[in-house]
Order: sequence, then C-alpha cells, then structure tokens
Amino acid sequence: MRVFATSMAVSAGRKGEVGWVDLLIIIVMMLSRTARPAFRACVVVASSRPVASPVANAANYATLREIEGRLKSIRNIEKITKTMKIVASTKLTRAQRAMNDSRAYGETSKTVFDEAETKPTEAEDKKQLLVVCSSDKGLCGGIHSGLSRRVRAMLNEQPNVDLAIVGEKCKGQLSRSNGRQIVLSFAGLGKDIPTFADAQAIADQVSLLPTDYSSIKVLYNKFINATSYEPTTVEAFSEEAVAESPNFAAFEIDDEVLKNLTEYALANTLYWALAEGHACEISARRNAMDNASKNAGDMINKFQILFNRTRQAVITGELVEIITGAAASEQ
Amino acid sequence: MAFAWKAAGITYNRYLAVASRAVRRSLKEDKRLQAERRGEMDLRFAKWESGRQGENKSLASANEAAMAEAASGGQQ
Repeated sequence: MRVFATSMAVSAGRKGEVGWVDLLIIIVMMLSRTARPAFRACVVVASSRPVASPVANAANYATLREIEGRLKSIRNIEKITKTMKIVASTKLTRAQRAMNDSRAYGETSKTVFDEAETKPTEAEDKKQLLVVCSSDKGLCGGIHSGLSRRVRAMLNEQPNVDLAIVGEKCKGQLSRSNGRQIVLSFAGLGKDIPTFADAQAIADQVSLLPTDYSSIKVLYNKFINATSYEPTTVEAFSEEAVAESPNFAAFEIDDEVLKNLTEYALANTLYWALAEGHACEISARRNAMDNASKNAGDMINKFQILFNRTRQAVITGELVEIITGAAASEQ
Repeated sequence: MAFAWKAAGITYNRYLAVASRAVRRSLKEDKRLQAERRGEMDLRFAKWESGRQGENKSLASANEAAMAEAASGGQQ
C-alpha cells in the first residue's frame, strides 16, 4: 500500500503538480487503508464496470489496477508484433531476390510452350490436378484464405478436379470443405526460402500419382506490389498437350525426351510459384504486423488516457471525503 | 536414345537432383557450404484417401522408395 502511495506521489510530482497535493495523497491513502474491508465488498460487485462512478471509490481503485494490467499486456503484445515485423522486413529482401531469380526459371520454361503454342487438351472425361501453393505459417493476413477461396470458386465451376496442397494452412481450410478431392498434401514448407530441390521433390511425387491428368494447374499468390497479391494459376502441360501443340516440330524433341521435358517444366513452374508465394507471404506478414503494432499503439493511448482520468477521479473523490470529514468533525 | 538412369527407374528431376548434388559437393569449401544450403529438402507429405489424411511421411525417403520399386519393376 505504502509503496503504491509513494509511486503515485512520484508520478503526480512528475506532472508538475504542486507539492502539497502529493502529501495529501499519501495521507489519503493511509486513511483509506483503515476503511478497507468495507470497500472490498464493493470491489467484487463493481469490478466488471470499465469506468466506475465517482461515488464508489473502491470500485475506481479496482478498475485502476485492472486498466494498469491491461495496459501492460497490450504493451507486451505491441513489443511482440513489432519484433515480428522487423524479422519479416529483414526476410523480405531475401525473399524478393529469390522470387526474381526464380522468375527466370518459370519464364524460360513458359517461353518454350508459348513458342510451341501449346494449348491445354480439352478432354472432358479426364481429371485435372490443381496444386495449391500456400505455406505452414499463419499470422500473415488473408493470403492463405484468399487462395482457399479461389480454389473453392474454381471447384464450383469445374468439379472434376483433384487437389494437391502444399502447406498446412490451405490444407486445414480446404480439408473441411473439399476433403474428398485432396489426393496429396505436403508440409514442412515456409521455414526458409523454398529451394529448387523442394520443387523437384514435389514434382516427382505429383508425377508418380496413379491418375492420368489432362492438365496440371499451379495456383499461387502473384506478387503485384508490397501490398497487393492476386491468386493466379499457371499451367503445366501434360505430354499429350505438348505433343499436340502446333509449333512443336520446330523444337525437334524426341518422343522419349518429352516426358523429361514435362517433368522438368512442372518442377520449374512449381519452383516459380513457391518462391513467389513465399515472397508474398513474408510481405503480407510484414504488413499485418505493421497494422497490429499500429492498433496496439492506438489502444495504449486510449487506455493511458482512461487510466489517467480514473486516477484523477479517485484522487478527487478521496479529497472530497477528507474535506467533508474535516468539516463534520469541526462542528 | 536410352538413358541409363531411366532404366534404373529414376525420373528426370531425381536425375538432376543427384547430378547437382555431385556438383555441389565438388565445390571448394566456402562455396560448397553456401551451395549445399540450396540443395536441402526437408518436406513431409501425406496421401489422402476419400477425405482422410494418410500417414505423414518424409518426402525424400518416399521418393527413393518409389523409384527403387520402379527400377525393380523395369528389370523384370
């Protein structure tokens, strides 16, 4: 109690109030200590109220402690989100460099098919495969749910699609709504920048699937700028689609090598999609943490003002008590 | 054109991974450490059967097993 009183006095003194006010406060505190048990009963009743009326003094005191605790916890949260933001910012430059590097892989492999004018085969009876590139970690705004929403929209248009999901987040969301269509799921991604070995291993496992798919689509978040992303699909063509393309003869590819080309193209596309998705995720996390820190700062300001007001109300209330008490004893 | 690695049941991606690993290992010490980080792969995967997730397995060992199976199937 006394410790609290002196700390109050110090804080009051810091704000440049007159010295005798501090003294009075200490006296008030000591006085109110004698009347504690009676007050405690009121505390229980009134503690749920955010701002207590000046009549119930003890209730004021309780909310003061409450506000102080809440303020402290918000400050801690702000510290955490700020640190996470800094971590994401430092990771972002590396992720963006990896994304730009990986774009070369994807675009080179895309040029081949553009030149060959490859079109996806329009076989109605064959299934398609959709590879969704999300990651294992959350706390990065709505980029995973954006992907999931896009997948659901695509499945509504075209139900004859199997899903292969990279990353725990989209797996969790899609297994609830479209669990039956999932054939493969991958985990362990998102700790670091995706490597080409990751993409190769996924491509191998996908090509080992028993079903013969008419086309493989890769869905990922396209990085437009630091604040906006868009779920985009890129096509990885099947062997027949490549063989049927009009300008295919210009490349003079043997039939035997064709399978290698499609496998390699799938790995290239996956690598591109994974790296770009990773850059989006990091930048989204940075933004999300930036917003969270800002909100925490706003809340701290609000609670600080509330705290000061309540403190002043408590002091005023107790002063009134003393004065009335003194006036009564004089008579 | 027949490839020895194709006969061994290895896919093109696996062939590339093995080749690149060999190149990385033959680099000088400081460059090798940097390069080997690019070749790391530590994914897990699960197969799904009618809406249920199967067992979580290491992707690297599963790929190797599948290729070994393909190799023995090709020889018979």
